[in-house]
Amino acid sequence: MRTSLRVGGAKAPPRPSVYPPLALLLRAVPLALLDVGVIWLLSGLLRDGAYALAIAISVVTLLLNLIFLRPQLSPLQWIAPSLALLGVLVVYPVFSTLYTAFTNYGDGHLLTKQVAIQQLEKQVYLPEGAPVFAWTAYVSADNQYLLWLHSADLGATYIARPGEAVVAAEGEPPPEIDGYRQLSKAERLRHTQNLVALEFGSPPDLFRVSERQIGVAAQYQQRYSYDSSQDLLIDRAEGRHYRPVEGTFTAEDGSTLRPGFRVAIGLDNFNRLLTTPALRGPFVSVFLWTILFAALSVLITFALGLFLAVMFDVPEMPLRRPLRSLLLIPYAIPAFISVPIWVGLLNPQYGVVSGMLADWFGAAPPWFSNPYWAKVGVLLIQLWLGFPYMFVIATGALQSLPADVYEAAEIDGASPVQAFWTITLPLLMITMGPLLVASFAYNFNNFVVIDLFNKGGPPISGTISPVGHTDILVTYTYRIAFSSGRGADLGYAAAITVAIFLILVVITYFQFRYTNMLEERSENV
Amino acid sequence: MHNKRMLLLVLLMVAAAVLSACAVPVAAPAAPAAEAPAEDAAAAEAAPTEPPAEEAVVLDAPNVLTIWADNTRAPVLSDLGTQFEAEYGIPVVVVEKGFGDIRDDLKVAGPAGEGPDIVIGAHDWLGELVENGLLAEIELGAAADQFLPAAVQAFAYDGALYGLPYATENVAFVYNPELVETVPATWSELTALAAELESAGVVSQAFIRQEGDPYHFFPIQTAFGGYVFGLTETGYDPSDVGIDSEGSIAAITWLDEMYKAGHLKAGSAVDYDIMHAAFENGDAAMMITGPWALPRIRESGVPYAVANIPGEVQEAQPFLGVQGFMISAFSNDQLLAQTFLQEFVATQEAMQAIFDADPRPSAFLPVREAIADSDLAAFAAAGANGLAMPAIPEMSAVWAAWGDAVVLVSQQSEAPDAAFSNAAEQIRAAIAGN
Repeated sequence: MRTSLRVGGAKAPPRPSVYPPLALLLRAVPLALLDVGVIWLLSGLLRDGAYALAIAISVVTLLLNLIFLRPQLSPLQWIAPSLALLGVLVVYPVFSTLYTAFTNYGDGHLLTKQVAIQQLEKQVYLPEGAPVFAWTAYVSADNQYLLWLHSADLGATYIARPGEAVVAAEGEPPPEIDGYRQLSKAERLRHTQNLVALEFGSPPDLFRVSERQIGVAAQYQQRYSYDSSQDLLIDRAEGRHYRPVEGTFTAEDGSTLRPGFRVAIGLDNFNRLLTTPALRGPFVSVFLWTILFAALSVLITFALGLFLAVMFDVPEMPLRRPLRSLLLIPYAIPAFISVPIWVGLLNPQYGVVSGMLADWFGAAPPWFSNPYWAKVGVLLIQLWLGFPYMFVIATGALQSLPADVYEAAEIDGASPVQAFWTITLPLLMITMGPLLVASFAYNFNNFVVIDLFNKGGPPISGTISPVGHTDILVTYTYRIAFSSGRGADLGYAAAITVAIFLILVVITYFQFRYTNMLEERSENV
Repeated sequence: MHNKRMLLLVLLMVAAAVLSACAVPVAAPAAPAAEAPAEDAAAAEAAPTEPPAEEAVVLDAPNVLTIWADNTRAPVLSDLGTQFEAEYGIPVVVVEKGFGDIRDDLKVAGPAGEGPDIVIGAHDWLGELVENGLLAEIELGAAADQFLPAAVQAFAYDGALYGLPYATENVAFVYNPELVETVPATWSELTALAAELESAGVVSQAFIRQEGDPYHFFPIQTAFGGYVFGLTETGYDPSDVGIDSEGSIAAITWLDEMYKAGHLKAGSAVDYDIMHAAFENGDAAMMITGPWALPRIRESGVPYAVANIPGEVQEAQPFLGVQGFMISAFSNDQLLAQTFLQEFVATQEAMQAIFDADPRPSAFLPVREAIADSDLAAFAAAGANGLAMPAIPEMSAVWAAWGDAVVLVSQQSEAPDAAFSNAAEQIRAAIAGN
């Protein structure tokens, strides 16, 4: 293998250090278009505060520019598009998940601190006993406003302008005051945004228009103000001081304010994961079943797929081509459709399959209520969904096996079964080994089938947190993350994802070592 | 060659970037920023909620009111919007979205300053939306006393009102009047009736229920005096979990006896479709279901009637789900949104139009009391004393544990009292933050 690398590796002609002008133009124009598109995208991302994504996209774009403009890097241009997509669609989300695992992002901590403070500072309160007025708005030719305020309780009427002391008035609101004309209802609605933003009168008599109650104005005061030098939020109504504690403004007596905000919280999510009683409880059995589920799914689909592939590899097989195509159908139908259909077919009381089994054997297995039969049921569905994939791969791999080895085996007097076990299978494993590993990793996290079949059920009785007999790690942790009693806790869910990822990395590492071993052995065949 | 490849590359890059912007939860979706040059973007970044400076008032540049609604409500609101614009010169833009998407999209678009002024939604979103600071408090205005009090109560969270309700929904007792002569008044009577019908061979299974769904079990639980969260003056109390209360255990024990006596088949994994198929074929005579199932029952041609859910030690109380209008806390013009809701939506005509577009019991009393469809009126009556489904975030800890316990009993794998006691412990542990 090692020597073959150099075969045909004729020395490439020396590359120019700069492209000729026309070639450069042909490269520069599309690149410029790309850069324009990216800059347009970046302006939007920066405005929305998505800085991390903006940085990732800029880095990828810069590298693309380098690769296409520097002749020394030109061999890279063939894989540059896939590298760029890999960076933006795979690497960035991985790091983003990793980062989220160290934050409290989730329900209750959705906003950034800046936005949370803005929202809190918008809140107003009415000091106790302060009178409430009905308002009528007026506007001048140069778009200045004034309010006619009337309080039935006080029997008082005022004219209030921004920045000027209020003036007492009497009677009904006139159509015009000092060149200001009264706004009609339609006009008033169009001016609400401006009216709400203004303060009418001068201290201490400052009136604001209510944002909630139609036609009401009063001496509303800003409730919270933020002191950035001390990182302190002051409640002016009650004189309380709130300090940010893990993304929530918290007073000394422990009372908190909504909304909270996003903040990095270090290893808290991982601590919570390691100390949750749910982990000490059914975790071990769930983990073992996950491995069993993934391994058996791969094994049975591989066995059936390979069996069918070998059968259909025999040229004498009648109707080879149409049957081969028909066998692909289970793979072509999405699991979202076929799993619910199977669930219906297997229903113990009304399902067709169960009814048939009951006629033949006297009783149908309790697919959904018995822990063992539920596991058998979900594996059977896995078999149905998965064997066509293995069948296709094995069919392709069989074509590439050398015919001379079989001739030699035949001359040596090996039976077809012997030839299968000693030649076909070991040779197939070279190409299929890595695919089996990938299939294992996929089934390790096969949320869809487990959730659609029986939502992880039947439930295990007497556990510390709700869990079912067919729950695998990913469905179980999904339950933990989203039924924590705090809504969606995305930071915690990300920490769980990272933990599952690490487990999977370890398992996959050993599996690849094993397939490498197979490969080395087969080189000696 | 080069050009083609490059063009493809450019397209791919942009597509990839846009896709990833949508796919990654921490990033807000890329907005059309064509008309927003960099300086404007920076200014908006600094103070996105500041209204324009007062000097910049232009009389004939009115605001726009944006509403997010689902496809059945959107046409009605568009009509109302046209009237509103005709009367006040303020355009109303109705954006049609999937009902469930409204909540998720609001969480992204609201804080980014691109959200709507008004959304429609369900009352049990309140916990999530209010905790995230996405909703503004609301006033019902002059029509306040014309709303169903329970529906208004459902939209209250922590003592403040966040929604103007338009419809309610709840389950009721649906039976086949050719098989069942008198509706059982209590669940004990139902057991006796089931034994009678089954031994007489009228029907193989008299009462059928959805096995895995605690929502449909809740009215039975309340009939026996059980509850999920204790109700106080300020709403549900998450420290008072009632799954293992005396009444709840009595209800699950009744269910256990139904299985033991063979009136319900253990481990039969009956879901919504199977339950309905059995009822519509005449294989079952009684079930608990909601008004959303009316079209399919009618289509099947099976004789049916809708009644109140049987009680036991007290009247059964189903969960009440309430839909309504909410105002975004990130709306630029909340007073305008309030005015639209109080003056244009909280009216007889608007509420009638919303009812006609999708007949479910209205939350507006004059419309609710005038429902001509007797089945729908019966559903409304069955929910007259309904309890609003808890909207507090702690409810997320309840569904799985509670549902599992009901399933365990339905499968006859665990004793009823042990199942509910354990579920209550699981819920308390989850709420305590384990």
